[in-house]
Amino acid sequence: MRPFGIRLGMFWALFVASVRMFVRNRAAVFFSLFLPLIIMLIFGVLNFEGTTTIQLGVADEAKNQASAQLIDGLAAFDYLEPTSGARDALLNQLKKGDLDFVIAIPAGFSPQLGEDGGLVAYAASGDPAQAQVAQGLLQQAVGQALFRAAGGGNPTGGAFAAPVRFESVESRQLGYIDFLVPGILGMTVMQLGLFGVAFGFVHLKRTGALRRLFATPTSPAYFLGAQVASRLIIAFVQVVILFGIGLWFGLQMFGDYATLAAIVLLGSIIFLAIGFSIAGWAKNEDQAAPVANLISLPMMFLSGVFFPRDAMPDFLANITQFMPLTYVNEALRAVVNDGSSLTSLGPQLLGMGVWAVITFVLAVRLFKWE
Amino acid sequence: MTGPIVAAHDLRKRYGSLQAVDGVSFEIAEGEVFGILGPNGAGKTTTLEMIEGMRPIDSGTAMVDGIDVTHDPRGVKARIGIQLQASSFFDELNLVELLELFGHLYERTVDAMALLADVELTEKARSQVKTLSGGQKQRFSIAAALVNDPRVLFLDEPTTGLDPQARHHLWGLVRQIRERGHTVVLTTHYMEEAEELCDRVAIMDRGLIVALDTPQRLVDELIGRGFTKARVERLANLEDVFLDMTGHDLREEG
Repeated sequence: MRPFGIRLGMFWALFVASVRMFVRNRAAVFFSLFLPLIIMLIFGVLNFEGTTTIQLGVADEAKNQASAQLIDGLAAFDYLEPTSGARDALLNQLKKGDLDFVIAIPAGFSPQLGEDGGLVAYAASGDPAQAQVAQGLLQQAVGQALFRAAGGGNPTGGAFAAPVRFESVESRQLGYIDFLVPGILGMTVMQLGLFGVAFGFVHLKRTGALRRLFATPTSPAYFLGAQVASRLIIAFVQVVILFGIGLWFGLQMFGDYATLAAIVLLGSIIFLAIGFSIAGWAKNEDQAAPVANLISLPMMFLSGVFFPRDAMPDFLANITQFMPLTYVNEALRAVVNDGSSLTSLGPQLLGMGVWAVITFVLAVRLFKWE
Repeated sequence: MTGPIVAAHDLRKRYGSLQAVDGVSFEIAEGEVFGILGPNGAGKTTTLEMIEGMRPIDSGTAMVDGIDVTHDPRGVKARIGIQLQASSFFDELNLVELLELFGHLYERTVDAMALLADVELTEKARSQVKTLSGGQKQRFSIAAALVNDPRVLFLDEPTTGLDPQARHHLWGLVRQIRERGHTVVLTTHYMEEAEELCDRVAIMDRGLIVALDTPQRLVDELIGRGFTKARVERLANLEDVFLDMTGHDLREEG
């Protein structure tokens, strides 16, 4: 069959050969599938959670002496970490899971002893058991602060619960696994492009297997097309496997899978282009290995695969924000953790688009068959 | 009377300051076994690869089965079979998978087992190329060059590095291929191989053909010029002794 002049049988045979060669190559499978899998299992079993402070948002709509006293009173508790802001913005953060509670101090706040003065506390609904403990702690803190703000001096006795009205807010509670899995997906896509293409291809080039292939009437376009198609399929299979294991570990998916697939596709294209740049330029595996590692290692640790990039010093964060894997990871996290759609991922898509163009041009310019 | 199946006219190829092929012309008739002889660096492989469409031609023309290789290299490749010097294949595929893949590259279905039977590799059908011995690799490489039932089979130093048993075995294979009507073009620097197999030979040196005729006429012509060997030809040589002692059976581990 030759629809549009494309020799389907030839393409299919090369595609099947390409998939077989990858699956039967233990090193390739190890580096692109098992390594990320092992890393995910290790980090999934180790638990990096267990923050003991309560993230509290304070919306001060009164801005009077009483509200200032209340806020000072709350700040005095070690287990509270207050941030102030507008009620809507804080509630958004609460929904995202960045805050545990939001307290709103209404305009004209002027508490009397034993009254709540119209305080409203919003609690995240994510983890009920944890929320209950936190709610108790918060109630005690607010109660004592209120007592002081109302002119009651330092309260005597321990427990002093304030009659705070709690409202539950539908929210997500993110764990480390929710952070980790999107990063691992990005890393897998990178490894597959860099190592899954570069090494196999350079080997074929060095041994002369490629020359033998072009002693037949096939064209390079079919071979390259089959290589790209097979790697894209393999990338998707790997993403499905890793994502499935992530779900089993308690990963939550807030976005839709089509959007996730689109990001994976775009990311794969970038890293395949880098892989083909290396494969096309290098004469042998000894040339390809250091370059591939030089590209992949910094990204593995500086693009926010395992740890948030917030932890980096500013100058490093400023540089690394432009790395291709950073854009891919940010976009994957936005989809998985925040349920973002493509339309809200403008900056990341722009970044990935620019990298796709750069790497594609690089691949075309560096590519040599022999 | 049909025209030549291969016609090279004034082929030239330069690599930097080296004129690798410097005006080579010859014609090969259908069904012939044609040898290109010469020392290393004489331009044998370059000449072959220009005719095969594997290397761009600087100047001159090469026609295969009536097709100009410069204008339609893929058309030429579809009609010929190529065994490259030191051919290598995809490591992770077995022999049957490789032959079927090559069949698809010519857009034809192949009987992989029949091809393997022709080169006596049936029992290796599910093995990978890297597990084959040197002689087996060369035979597989010929099987791969036959998947498209080519009009012309090009063999570049097919017996280099083989032991005498494997070499004699391969000669038998080339004769069989010739009997089935394929034209064969081969390069070699073993003179007894050329004498055994070739109907005509071209001797190349420094990018030029210095002699072209049947092996017998080249020898007669040399003797006609008054040449005598320093030592009279014996009735047997050391290779005959070697084969007499070790037998003609193929020695192949694995």
